[in-house]
Amino acid sequence: MRKFRSDWSQGDREQYQGRNYFSEEPHTSYSWRGNRGQEDVVTSPLKKKDSSDSPMAMAVEFKTYVDQACRAAEEFVNIYYETMDKRRRALTRLYLDKATLIWNGNVVTGLEALANFFDMLPSSEFQVNMLDCQPVHEQATQAQTTVLVVTSGTVKFDGNKQHYFNQNFLLTAQTTANNTVWKIASDCFRFQDWAAI
Amino acid sequence: MEHTDKVNPLQRRTRSWSFYRRRRNFSSEHVTSQQQQDSGDVPMDSQARYAPYAVPSRHQRSSFQKQDQIHINMEIKQKPPERRMERGRQNETVGSWFKIIIPFGIKYDEKWLLNLIQKQCSVPFIPVEFHYEKMQAQFFVENANIACALKNVNGKIFNEDNEKISIFVEPCDTPRSVQKALKSEKVEQMKLSSLDQSNKKPYVVHSLSTIMENASHTKNWNLSNIEVKSAGEMDKGQQLEPGRMGADRTAMCTTSPDKSTNISTILELFPKLLSLDGQEKPSGSKCAIEVPKYLPMCKGSFFGSEELKSLILQFLQQYYLIHDYGDRQGLLCAYHEEACFSLTIPFRLKDPGPSSMCAYFKNSRNMKKLKDPDLRFQLLKHTKCDIVQALCGLPKTQHDFRSFMVDMWFQTETMLCFSVNGVFKEIEGRYPGCVRAFSRTFITTPATSSSFCIVNDKLFVSDFSPEKTASALHPKA
Repeated sequence: MRKFRSDWSQGDREQYQGRNYFSEEPHTSYSWRGNRGQEDVVTSPLKKKDSSDSPMAMAVEFKTYVDQACRAAEEFVNIYYETMDKRRRALTRLYLDKATLIWNGNVVTGLEALANFFDMLPSSEFQVNMLDCQPVHEQATQAQTTVLVVTSGTVKFDGNKQHYFNQNFLLTAQTTANNTVWKIASDCFRFQDWAAI
Repeated sequence: MEHTDKVNPLQRRTRSWSFYRRRRNFSSEHVTSQQQQDSGDVPMDSQARYAPYAVPSRHQRSSFQKQDQIHINMEIKQKPPERRMERGRQNETVGSWFKIIIPFGIKYDEKWLLNLIQKQCSVPFIPVEFHYEKMQAQFFVENANIACALKNVNGKIFNEDNEKISIFVEPCDTPRSVQKALKSEKVEQMKLSSLDQSNKKPYVVHSLSTIMENASHTKNWNLSNIEVKSAGEMDKGQQLEPGRMGADRTAMCTTSPDKSTNISTILELFPKLLSLDGQEKPSGSKCAIEVPKYLPMCKGSFFGSEELKSLILQFLQQYYLIHDYGDRQGLLCAYHEEACFSLTIPFRLKDPGPSSMCAYFKNSRNMKKLKDPDLRFQLLKHTKCDIVQALCGLPKTQHDFRSFMVDMWFQTETMLCFSVNGVFKEIEGRYPGCVRAFSRTFITTPATSSSFCIVNDKLFVSDFSPEKTASALHPKA
């Protein structure tokens, strides 16, 4: 990991207060801070890409960016499905308040509707077999750090037979000086019943 | 077969590239995590326990045989404290409160429902704090006789479609509005009693007299072990429920559901649930009906609007025309300069047989199995040249448009996310004719005023299994 560089922009320096982000491993944590629950997906602050860097530097930055996105995605997926299966009522904590879910073509918008929806959904047992993620290009997100997370696997809802599923999430980062909290901006879930694994 | 709901009311614009509707502006709507946590989240851990119902000695409640005076709580708010003092009775009993629950009561108008119940109920009752909570209608009544009578109404009332309406009853704490009213009255009492020493009596409560004290100080009361004497007919196993009341509910007011808050749309997603009768009794620990296990119906493609639908379908047609029938180099113009692409196939220990996916294997990026960050990075194709090169290395295909299920699941002015599920056939390569199932997610952004390009492309390929499809589409009866 490279050290803090003096030719980063002034904005970066101020934001990060001179901490050496690249001298330590970026890490994710289930952080318990006051009333923040264990459902929150929190990582160390992300370093944003600085386009004034040299191409080599940008390549390294991009890799780091990807690494951080991967860690957040992994952590997130673990928390999400565990919460879905075992602490269903806490699931909406992982969503932005205006998040949307498209569930097999059914649209559910906003935290209240999501809470009701998850309440009505039978209890679940998810098994995730595939997980992948990509950072979303900032031209699309207007520099709002976003990660596309895609999962696939099987799910058994109580009283129903097992289904294969595919799920897509857009995770957005809300960054403070101390950490980054990831929340779902949008969620798309489909049974994939013609797939075999 | 599809339906298009309006995701965004501001859909209609005519500019060609303005199909990215502004649904959300991230930079201006950062929600702090604190807000997130505080809004509407009911903590699973201990809630504040309500103070017990402590009756001041001067304000003696009537016994509950006198029906017309049972619900004194309603009068408390209206009459000034001095008037209330005058109602001194010696035979005081503490009210036992019960919560009455009507599953799916949210469907019914309050007045209509209460009238219906009263018609069948052998005793008159006055509902306290009628409200809707999620799908239920709820209210409180104050004594066990009434609660019992209401319980007996279960199964005897029907809605306009002749479906049975269930009523469940459970013991509970004093409703908050009642406590508040009594507390304020108690304050007045205490002011007066400090002048009058001659009539000091301990608070008279039946079996609870040893443990009750000034209500205002005992917020952390755990009432779960207290047996309400008169509740002999109630299920002893039920815990007292602290009562989930919204903080903004004023006493004695009724709340009607705001239909625009998606509750009715949620109901529409679970139509089977609404016509069921004979649900299980609520268990005290959950305070919820055991909901039968139905899933919302699976619907077809979702596009959000006709405009987006034609845009997305047009894009897919053009993309797969080149991908399947042309030179995939032609896809260079479809991608952003710094686009990302990755591919995943299901993990296999060994991969023999006629449907081997080894052609995809070497590019497969599955973070569940692949932990090395360097390798993960390598397998993420990053520029459009790399991407198209990777695509050119995959088997030649023919995608079946009729199988496509499309979900448009996020849009802003600058971003459009949609996913395609379907099947394709491999045309050449080692296993011609082999059918695969795929799921592909595209994230696109406007490139010019009239075109857009792909910034993220995620492909998942798996085997297609007709037997599984058959069982999925035709579940056993």
